[in-house]
Amino acid sequence: MKLTINEVAQSLRVPVSTVDRWIRQGRIPAQRTDRGYLVDESTLEKWAKMYKLPFSSPNNVNTAKQQTPPDNLLPAMKRGGLLYNIKGDDRETALKNAVDHIHFLSGNIKDAMYQGLLEREHLTSTGVGKGVAIPHPRTPLKDLISNAIIATCFLAAPVDFHAIDGRPVFVMFILLSPSTKTHLHLLSRLSFCIRENSFVDFLKTTPDSTTFFSKIADFENRFAIGDRN
Amino acid sequence: MRILRYWRYPGNWPIFRFDDRLLLILMAAIVGIFSGLSSVVLNRSLLIMSDWLHHYRHFWWFFALPAAGAALSSLFLEKVVKEGAGHGVPEVIYSVSRYGGLLRLRSSVTRLISSCLTIGSGGSAGPEAPVVISGAAIGSNIAKYFSLNDRQRVALVGCGAAGAISSIFNAPIAGMVFAVEVIVGEWKSVNIVPIAIASVAGAEICRLLQGNQIPFGHHVFKIDFLNIVACLGLAVLSAVATILQTRMLRSMHTISHKVPAPMWARAAIGGCMVGIIGLYLPVVLGEGYHWTEILIEGRYGQILTIVALASFAKIAATALTLGWGGSGGIFAPCLVIGSLVGVTYHHLLVLFWPSISWVNEGYYALLGMAGLISGMLQAPLTGIFLIVEITGGWEVIVPLIIVSVVTTTICHYFEPASYYLKDLVDHGHLLRPGTDERILSDLNVSELIEKDCVTVHPSMLLRNFIDIIKQSHRNYFPVEDEKTGDFLGIVHLDDVRPYLFDPVMYDTVLLGQIMRTQVEVVHPDDDVLDVVRKMDIKGLYSIPVVVNHRFIGLISKATILDQYRKELMVQCHLL
Repeated sequence: MKLTINEVAQSLRVPVSTVDRWIRQGRIPAQRTDRGYLVDESTLEKWAKMYKLPFSSPNNVNTAKQQTPPDNLLPAMKRGGLLYNIKGDDRETALKNAVDHIHFLSGNIKDAMYQGLLEREHLTSTGVGKGVAIPHPRTPLKDLISNAIIATCFLAAPVDFHAIDGRPVFVMFILLSPSTKTHLHLLSRLSFCIRENSFVDFLKTTPDSTTFFSKIADFENRFAIGDRN
Repeated sequence: MRILRYWRYPGNWPIFRFDDRLLLILMAAIVGIFSGLSSVVLNRSLLIMSDWLHHYRHFWWFFALPAAGAALSSLFLEKVVKEGAGHGVPEVIYSVSRYGGLLRLRSSVTRLISSCLTIGSGGSAGPEAPVVISGAAIGSNIAKYFSLNDRQRVALVGCGAAGAISSIFNAPIAGMVFAVEVIVGEWKSVNIVPIAIASVAGAEICRLLQGNQIPFGHHVFKIDFLNIVACLGLAVLSAVATILQTRMLRSMHTISHKVPAPMWARAAIGGCMVGIIGLYLPVVLGEGYHWTEILIEGRYGQILTIVALASFAKIAATALTLGWGGSGGIFAPCLVIGSLVGVTYHHLLVLFWPSISWVNEGYYALLGMAGLISGMLQAPLTGIFLIVEITGGWEVIVPLIIVSVVTTTICHYFEPASYYLKDLVDHGHLLRPGTDERILSDLNVSELIEKDCVTVHPSMLLRNFIDIIKQSHRNYFPVEDEKTGDFLGIVHLDDVRPYLFDPVMYDTVLLGQIMRTQVEVVHPDDDVLDVVRKMDIKGLYSIPVVVNHRFIGLISKATILDQYRKELMVQCHLL
């Protein structure tokens, strides 16, 4: 395949003007044609290897650029679903019950996950105040899940979570994500929602799934507007 | 038309597409032939001129002839072809390192004519430098005609120089070594192969037209150990002569520039003085090949004082000719001075140790020549091979190497840069391949510029600025005037860091109050070397690029390192 100067610049990751100069100085083996200079791809690859320069085929460069943006709240929450009436007298049992109720996870993953959640709780509480907790494992579950999941668990009775404001927790958002980047993204959005007192009051009413998801969709719209500005 | 275009892009011919080294070899042969021809032309015209002027040598006004020649050559260079004075080799070396060997077409004849006038009339200068310029210009312009790239053009410039030297001395190895050691400065097979071809072609043309003979006759010397040891003393003596010559050339140059007279008049004054010296010591006149031969054969037959005096006189005459504006090179005078110094040294040896059987004075003349050439050019290999080849004396190779190396070392101690490189080093123009200066001079600002900076306005509130920080990837934010778009200053993340977590400040602080004015800026046409130096002196990591008060991008040390490394890898790969 013949590459144009622009493609050569892309695959060597140097500015176009540098490629232009290298050709003029006769460092890159190029051919002069009516359409400007062309460089054979395999020749260029060999050349780059000889000089120990980084080389990636221009096709790969394009695909690498199209990175999917991290998931938003709504799809993650829909995947996790809403769990009502989770029983438990303390933090551990509440978490154990909640994890057991997450139906789409297989047994051994549940164990690993529970251990991960506990470990993180022992570090510092994930109770972020106002009666809300966001339990999550410390390291992302890279191999176990492919998409982020937020399971919203309403507790049967408020439980002491050693939260920062000391208030007992009545709702948990169990946050599982495949990468740290997604985790931070979702955590940031979730904490934005919880910062609003009206949302916390809304949660206290133990809403059904349709009203809950429409509320989340409203938030997503606000985020989208904020991003555009 | 199409055929013509096809013809002018030989890089696209199927055979050369297969391997462009073949193209370079073919071109090298052509360049070698042409530069060989140019040296034959100069040689012949010098002979004709000296034959023609021979009859006037007996007249009392003969001393005015070198003056007239030097004045004419200076006038010709200055008024007719508008080229700089001097011998021109530094210009070739600079062009090779900076402009990919671009030279003017007219350079291929101008120096031939001017040096012919200077030397033919009796000025003490060499025809080699003009021939080298001519050959280099031929190579450069052939490369330009066939639209070859810079690397190939540099190789062809080297080919021109090699062809010229190998043809003028009928010495292919010396031509090759000279071109690589002095002109190209890079021992790589991509250069050496075409240069060798050109060298052979140049020598072959000279042999066809002038017969295959070495310029100075071959002599067999019986060299014993003592004579080899004695050459150490000669090395010291020739180093002294070299340094004397270099310093004298420079001081003559300074003195002549202080004389309030036009250039041609200054050249005439210098020529006149050479003529007067020549009345008493004719050995100083002209390029002196004839005298060199006499000295090697040991037929000079003068007493010690006269020979020593002649050495000084030749040094002075060369300085007068070249320093005052005559045109020509240093090569041939070096040969004469070297052989005179050698003969002087032989006389001294005989004077102090008359009982020892010293080899005859020709041997020392040879060694002196090698010493002077190596010392003057700081190119020991050129000195060794040139003398071996032009005298056919392979048996003197051991003392030759000793003298060349020792002289180069001593001279290097006193004069670190050779005669050819002195001016370049003084102006910071010596950019040998693979050096820091060369890499930085090849890079230019537009290749290093990063344009993904987010610009801000001086009336922007800190609150709005924080939103911008969230979205940007950089620590620097150029500040532009809202109305005119002029660059006003820069805000670094460090400048706002203290206020970042203080919400009270968000709506009270304007960027205009935080930004740094008095910022060092650079222009896209600036040399990267200067940019880097600026950053080093001021301790900056990034520097904005500004044109006509408009901000166009940022240069950071990180990008410089990245590009510098790639450039270094591409340039210094050993092939």
